Amino acid sequence: MLKDQLKQIRSSKRLSAATVITALTTDFFALHGDGYQGDDPAVTVGFGRFMRQTVLMIGVNRGATIQQRLAYHFGAVSPAGYRKVNRGLKQAAKFHWPVISLINMPGAAADVAAERTGQSQAIAATIRQMGQLPVPNIAVFLGEGQSGGALALANCNRILMLGNSLYSVASPEAVQAILKNRRQELTAYLPMTAPQLLKLGLADQVITEDQHTVQRLQRALTTQLTELQTWSPAKLKQQRQAKYLALVAPSD
Amino acid sequence: MSHFPKKGLWQQCPRCHRHVHRLEWGQLRICPYCGYYLRLTAKQRIQQLTTGNDFIRLPKLAEHTVPFTFPGYQQKLAQAREKTGLKEAFVAGQAQLAGATFILGVMDSHFMMGTLNIVVGARLRQAIETAKQRKLPLILVIASGGARMQEGILSLLQMNTVLAAYDALNAAGLFTLNILTDPTMGGVSASFAFAADIVLAEAGATIGFAGKRVIEATSHEVLPTDFQTADSLYRQGQLDAVVQRSNLTAVVSQLLRLH
Ligand SMILES: [Zn+2]
Repeated sequence: MLKDQLKQIRSSKRLSAATVITALTTDFFALHGDGYQGDDPAVTVGFGRFMRQTVLMIGVNRGATIQQRLAYHFGAVSPAGYRKVNRGLKQAAKFHWPVISLINMPGAAADVAAERTGQSQAIAATIRQMGQLPVPNIAVFLGEGQSGGALALANCNRILMLGNSLYSVASPEAVQAILKNRRQELTAYLPMTAPQLLKLGLADQVITEDQHTVQRLQRALTTQLTELQTWSPAKLKQQRQAKYLALVAPSD
Repeated sequence: MSHFPKKGLWQQCPRCHRHVHRLEWGQLRICPYCGYYLRLTAKQRIQQLTTGNDFIRLPKLAEHTVPFTFPGYQQKLAQAREKTGLKEAFVAGQAQLAGATFILGVMDSHFMMGTLNIVVGARLRQAIETAKQRKLPLILVIASGGARMQEGILSLLQMNTVLAAYDALNAAGLFTLNILTDPTMGGVSASFAFAADIVLAEAGATIGFAGKRVIEATSHEVLPTDFQTADSLYRQGQLDAVVQRSNLTAVVSQLLRLH
């Protein structure tokens, strides 16, 4: 059931971006701030060693404790957060670091300050920079991702999804609202689960969730990165565009 | 043709509540009493920004395609088509104004609030690519509530694909101009809406990412009276100009002359 899945994804016990970064990388250094307005703790952007090279990691933080959740605004990334991501992406392009984004986030920051400080432009810039990266990028859905913010962090060569993760146009609750009272589950009408998106061709790999999830994820990332790193910058950019264009092309 | 006269010759102004005759609303649909702008249809926008009848629709614009069977969606589409006389929420063609030739694309808020879906995205990319091929400026009149939920994830993926096409047009050195009209929200605002060389907004337009009701419900903040208005975005440095509707043709002509 979608309801149970959401509960699990949003639980404080869910595998977090911070846990994955700690497990996968050594020598991790986190960037601080957008160099302009402030630092958004809802997203960690930093670099560390993975597969005997430096990689840029982007991880959305929902927080486990109440204190963390409040401090991280429940994982709603603000414009300053996207601008910090964009700083990181610039360095990744400059130093040829692969990029891995870890996604479990609610919709965009819904508050006055986010709108006033250029939320739309910040997200658009992240979409652009991710799409134009001359290095491989891989998105990992640890939980849910929705709306423009998740799209920006998932504009990648590869999308990996944990078995119970979700990727949708808007929050399932918001989509449910226009569906009104239907008996069937929302997922019967719109693909958003990992297996559904794998079938659609948007997700490239679904990671089984068990006590070895992190190891499975590590293996999957290693395999995918090993392949992508043989590609030229032009091919990496071209593959991103071609992949999404093929998915969105109107069919008759 | 406008499909609104069906409602009758008189229409109440949403702001001052006076009953205004169709002739008084005029071609630009401005309330003669309080200056309120009714939302224009794609056809009215094209008339406003084109000399004479110099608008040649792009051939073979992408057509209707529904990827998933979302309950009630087919009926909604049928109603929107009936109401607007359009097949989808975006129309594009080659236009002329002030002696300049350009590609003009217009979103129509009367068609499911101009929401971004597979066909609208495909047509946008078509318009952008046509401008690139013909080496012409691109002018987009934007009016959209964001991604169309009924087409799910494929609506969301219009954001990156349209933006990538838009960026390629900019890289080709062609002039791009976006006119943000009421409303410019969500997935449209956070992708190509601000990607133009020059971004104008029509006075009174609501422009933002998250909707006001969502923000109120989530943040429990009292929204400032000028929140997400064209004027406030202008003050924050996010727009090049806020233009009165009656002045828009002149400003667009000026920008075309200078490029
Ligand atoms: Zn009035």
